[in-house]
Amino acid sequence: MSGRPPRQEEGESAKLRHKEELSRRIKEQKVVVDELSNLKKNRKVYRQQPNSNIFFLVDRTETLSQCKNTLDELKKAHQEMENSEKTKIKK
Amino acid sequence: MEAPGGASPLSPALVGRLRQEHEKVVTSCQEKIQHWKKVESDYDALQERLRTLPDKLSYDIMVPFGPLAFMPGKLVHTNEVTVLLGDNWFSKCSAKQAVALVEHRKKHVRKALDDLQKVMKNFESRVEFTEDLQKMSDAAGEFVDIREEIEDDSIETKGKYRTAHKPHSKPKVSNVFEVDFPANGSDTKSMGRFQSEEELWARLEELERQEEILGELDRMPDTVETNGEDTTSSEEEKEEKRTDLNGTYRTEDCITQGSFHREVTNSDLFGGQVNGSTYYHSDDEDDIDVGDSSVPTIFFSHTVEPKRVRINTGKNTTLKFSEKKEEAKRKRKNSNGNGHATPELPNIKTPADIYRVFVDVVNGEYVPRKSILKSRSRENSVCSDTSENSAAEFDDRRGVQRSISCDEATQSDNSEGILEEEEEEGQQQLPKKHPPSSGTTEAFSGTVIEKEPLSPSLIPHPVIAHPVLPTILERKSEEVLSEASEETTKRISKFKAARMQQTN
Repeated sequence: MSGRPPRQEEGESAKLRHKEELSRRIKEQKVVVDELSNLKKNRKVYRQQPNSNIFFLVDRTETLSQCKNTLDELKKAHQEMENSEKTKIKK
Repeated sequence: MEAPGGASPLSPALVGRLRQEHEKVVTSCQEKIQHWKKVESDYDALQERLRTLPDKLSYDIMVPFGPLAFMPGKLVHTNEVTVLLGDNWFSKCSAKQAVALVEHRKKHVRKALDDLQKVMKNFESRVEFTEDLQKMSDAAGEFVDIREEIEDDSIETKGKYRTAHKPHSKPKVSNVFEVDFPANGSDTKSMGRFQSEEELWARLEELERQEEILGELDRMPDTVETNGEDTTSSEEEKEEKRTDLNGTYRTEDCITQGSFHREVTNSDLFGGQVNGSTYYHSDDEDDIDVGDSSVPTIFFSHTVEPKRVRINTGKNTTLKFSEKKEEAKRKRKNSNGNGHATPELPNIKTPADIYRVFVDVVNGEYVPRKSILKSRSRENSVCSDTSENSAAEFDDRRGVQRSISCDEATQSDNSEGILEEEEEEGQQQLPKKHPPSSGTTEAFSGTVIEKEPLSPSLIPHPVIAHPVLPTILERKSEEVLSEASEETTKRISKFKAARMQQTN
């Protein structure tokens, strides 16, 4: 029994980390969506190529919809995580 | 694990330490996996970008000036990419090629990920095990070691099994046969798969018998015809016919494949004649047995000397061993063939006896001898046995030797011998061709046996498919000259030779 608790803790900590990461990204995404939605129509939007320093010009509305989608997904994941935790607690 | 009574080698501290180390490995694996996952995702993004890059001719981008400054620009040459190969070497390639490269690298990344996953799982299981270990060490009362001592006997069975193969006898046999099979493979297809030595031996004996019978057969048809022609006074004619018959016969055998089957059947039919005393079909079984007994080489060794003496004293002083043997064989054959017409003296038990009988009884004039000698001398003048002419004789010899060995076929008609001599000279060419193909075995086997021990290495050599090869080798040992050895093949059954080798 002595072995289990620490491992569970580890798992929980990992989960926690994951959860934090998730919430952080959600916040981030929220900001992005707000910013994009508040942009003037003639503004240009650039998107950074991951792992590089180049920014590609992208369509504003398209990006906005994409960001909204990702935000929804993140929220879903977050919700699932919370639900699972609740069920665990209930048990 | 920990014996209940004894001091447990696993102290809780040590077990805890072990578990810690395992967990460390697991966590490090997790970190690595994370890293590799990031790399993979980066490559994914890159691949995606490269895939869509050539879709447009130019892109509006922000060009970085240092880490913080940008200026608007255009990305052109969208289908030209320089790929870092490593060590600051770049190669220019198209976007598609770059995608392929990325794919290749992703493969490597995936492999690393898989390996890490495996390692992690492995160590996770180890961690669990160590946890259990800890539990057991903590509460030793709950767990008991069940130990059962294994007796060594059961384990030793393996060793015994190995000892079963005794290095001397059995392995040898197997080796010899392996050597022989490839050489004679064509002749003996069935030989290939013998599971046990016993079977092998039985098969060998059977084959030997068949060979013997074959030799008898060759002689038999000849004898039959000769009987019809006995009225003709020339031995040579007889011999020619014999050889011809043999040739045809052999060719047929070859066609039939193996020639053994045929021989067997024929042997049954003619077995009676072989014995000489009785050529009835009813005696087939006895004949076969006799044939076996007749083969013994002992006779041959004995016969050689007497022949010499006889020959020298009588009329032919220049006969060689081989020639003498051949002559003796011929005479024997003749005697056998004639035996039908006139069953003769049972006195002949050895070739030498036959010789005497032949000379005395058949022709008081010695005419047959002379003729035989002459023909032999002419034919064999170059090399005694191996000469082309000898080939025809070989066939005769086979039959003769068998008959001789039987001792029962002592009947000898001089007239036949004479015929043979004359005709042989004329038609020696035909027999040459036939002998190699024919599966018949020759009487020479006796001599071969004696020499085999001297040159055991020769036997395995025969690469030719002929079963007779071993005999040839023997001959060579006897006579260095043997050019026609190939023709003379089949003196001794290969089986016998193999067996003899083994025994020796």
